[in-house]
Amino acid sequence: MRPWRPLALAAAPLAALGLAGCTSSSTDDEPQVVVTTNILGDVVTEIAGDEAHVTTLMKPNADPHSFEISAQEAATLDDADLLVSNGLGLEEGLQQHLDRATEAGAAMVIVGDEINVLDYSSGDASGTPDPHFWTDPARMVDVVEAVEAALGAVDGVDPVVVEENAEAYLDELDALDAEMTSAFAAIPASQRALVTNHHVFGYLADRFDFEVVGAVIPGGTTLAAPSAADLRDLAAAIETAGVPTLFAESSQPDRLVQVLASEVGIDVDVVELFTESLTEPGEGADTYLAMMRENTARISEGLTR
Amino acid sequence: MITPRPLVAATAVALALVALAGCAAEPEPTAAPVDDVSDGHGEITTAAEVEEPPLALVSVDDDGRVGMLDLLSGESEDLGPDGAPTGLASDGRYVFVTTADGVDIVDSARWSWNHGDHFHYYIGSPEMPGTVPGSGIATATWGMLSTDGSTAMHFAGSGEAVLLENEALAEGEIVERFRVDVDADAVVAPLGDGAVISEADALEVYDAEGRQTEQSVSCTDAAGAITTVVGLAIGCAEGAVLVTGDEDEAEFSVIRYPDDVDAERAVAFDGRKGRPTVAGLTDASGFWLLDTREETWTHVATEHTLVHVTAVDDEAGHVVALDTDGRVRVYAAATGEEIAATDVLVGAPDAATSLTVDGQRAYLNDPAAAVVHEIDYADGARIARTLDTPTSPAFLSEVGR
Repeated sequence: MRPWRPLALAAAPLAALGLAGCTSSSTDDEPQVVVTTNILGDVVTEIAGDEAHVTTLMKPNADPHSFEISAQEAATLDDADLLVSNGLGLEEGLQQHLDRATEAGAAMVIVGDEINVLDYSSGDASGTPDPHFWTDPARMVDVVEAVEAALGAVDGVDPVVVEENAEAYLDELDALDAEMTSAFAAIPASQRALVTNHHVFGYLADRFDFEVVGAVIPGGTTLAAPSAADLRDLAAAIETAGVPTLFAESSQPDRLVQVLASEVGIDVDVVELFTESLTEPGEGADTYLAMMRENTARISEGLTR
Repeated sequence: MITPRPLVAATAVALALVALAGCAAEPEPTAAPVDDVSDGHGEITTAAEVEEPPLALVSVDDDGRVGMLDLLSGESEDLGPDGAPTGLASDGRYVFVTTADGVDIVDSARWSWNHGDHFHYYIGSPEMPGTVPGSGIATATWGMLSTDGSTAMHFAGSGEAVLLENEALAEGEIVERFRVDVDADAVVAPLGDGAVISEADALEVYDAEGRQTEQSVSCTDAAGAITTVVGLAIGCAEGAVLVTGDEDEAEFSVIRYPDDVDAERAVAFDGRKGRPTVAGLTDASGFWLLDTREETWTHVATEHTLVHVTAVDDEAGHVVALDTDGRVRVYAAATGEEIAATDVLVGAPDAATSLTVDGQRAYLNDPAAAVVHEIDYADGARIARTLDTPTSPAFLSEVGR
């Protein structure tokens, strides 16, 4: 059995960061693993267990594209025994540090080198690599295997324990994959469309056979004084897709629902999904598995209502 | 991201920092360990990320009183007194107000950052960083990012070019990278940490210290400059020069006017921020569309003479213009056809009348009636709202773009 401890471990790196400025950490003799994004941080923490100290640089509810780190955190990164990053251009705010670590020959796992990468299929970024691999749990399996191998080779880490941890987490990923497959299979093929302004679901769509219909969500100035013409493009996207739910980030989702009903006679729900960051504990997506399960539930409920 | 950003908390931190900054000459204390390695990419400790463009109007009345109206919440605030304005321009975050003493800068602390596959939007506490001294008609030009690179100014009276550091400006400080003497009619525009300045019939690249580099390209009678998502475009008699790269390694591409079109050249450019295509105003009827990605010019003949023209560059290719009679006219880029027009909205449009577009709406100030018209250009140029700004809109700009 895998010991259940994600919450305690998730809190540890935060505590370490808070202390970094005042005292040297008590974990100096432990192998040090530094991870960029909090999604990868959660997964790597599961694999490392008690074998290494994992520092996650990106805070909960942050943006992987633009978060930046302090000089102290940069030093942690330089001293890491293993560095795990997403790559594919995701961590732009950290690029100079990652480049420096690469040049220094640090032991690294770059997810972009481990998975079958998809390109964005539409929009201005069409044709460039899509870094949001985690929306497909099967891709995460490749990541776990790569981290397991790299971590097992770090001095002071017991590869047997890391292998056990990885196996246990792979079982969790298998279970997640099976749940997602079965939940999405219950959505009629004709309804399997995500009308969305989120830009991270390319891998999920590819894996589970969804169509992503990119939508421009009217902003606050439009919703303040809308007309049918303002909503024509969005209405057309919803009607073509034939779905009862719009998966969108909007600052006024209720107003959007009301305006779509009153101006163009379309009855849809507006539901947000978790996209690029884990949340604080208790906010719905505090682990990778919780985030994926919550999104799966919202998508299946939204498309079968 | 699904969880609401900590707007209130972050704003409180911002206020605390601002309050502290005034009483100590020491470096600002930091609330979160994110500023040491700032590469200027949008994120700032004192600003919070929000879910959509934090659009607002900044109005300046004849006495120089500055106000801001939030276009989403309808809340307004007074930003304080300024010099009496004679001109105004904005990059979508900073508002550059020309006065007798130079250019007063208002930081609305609202901005958008184009990230290629998506956008980020930020909101902080507005500030008035101060004045860039200079005399005569002032022209400001800017790049794509309000937190990095430079902002350029040209003063026709004192014949000076000034280059400001955006990273400092974002923190409330006016830092001049350089100030050099130039022609009274020079075009000055930022390029990386340096600038491009017109001289005689050429464009010269200057480095961050104000030294002229060896890099130069010919350009007859330079007039009008704008930075698009592709690069810096400067108008010349023979066409436009597109400058990409930076002050160390500039690349020039000359986009010539088509030989088979007999029309006046463009003298000023305007377009929705972050798009490749901009509209070029001429001294006669008709306007040009300059696509800096495809490197092409398209001329659109119009029945009316225009005082402003700006390209939305959306899927439908809307172009929004103000004619000399004070009507807003909407054209379709693909056909050049006029697709909508308003009634007369402004009595006698002049330099104080401004027309700004974002992805949904256009904003036009009517100084005489002291209102701002919000126009839905995609819906028959309908007046969506008529807005009252906190100070009378003698001069106006839309920020948060």
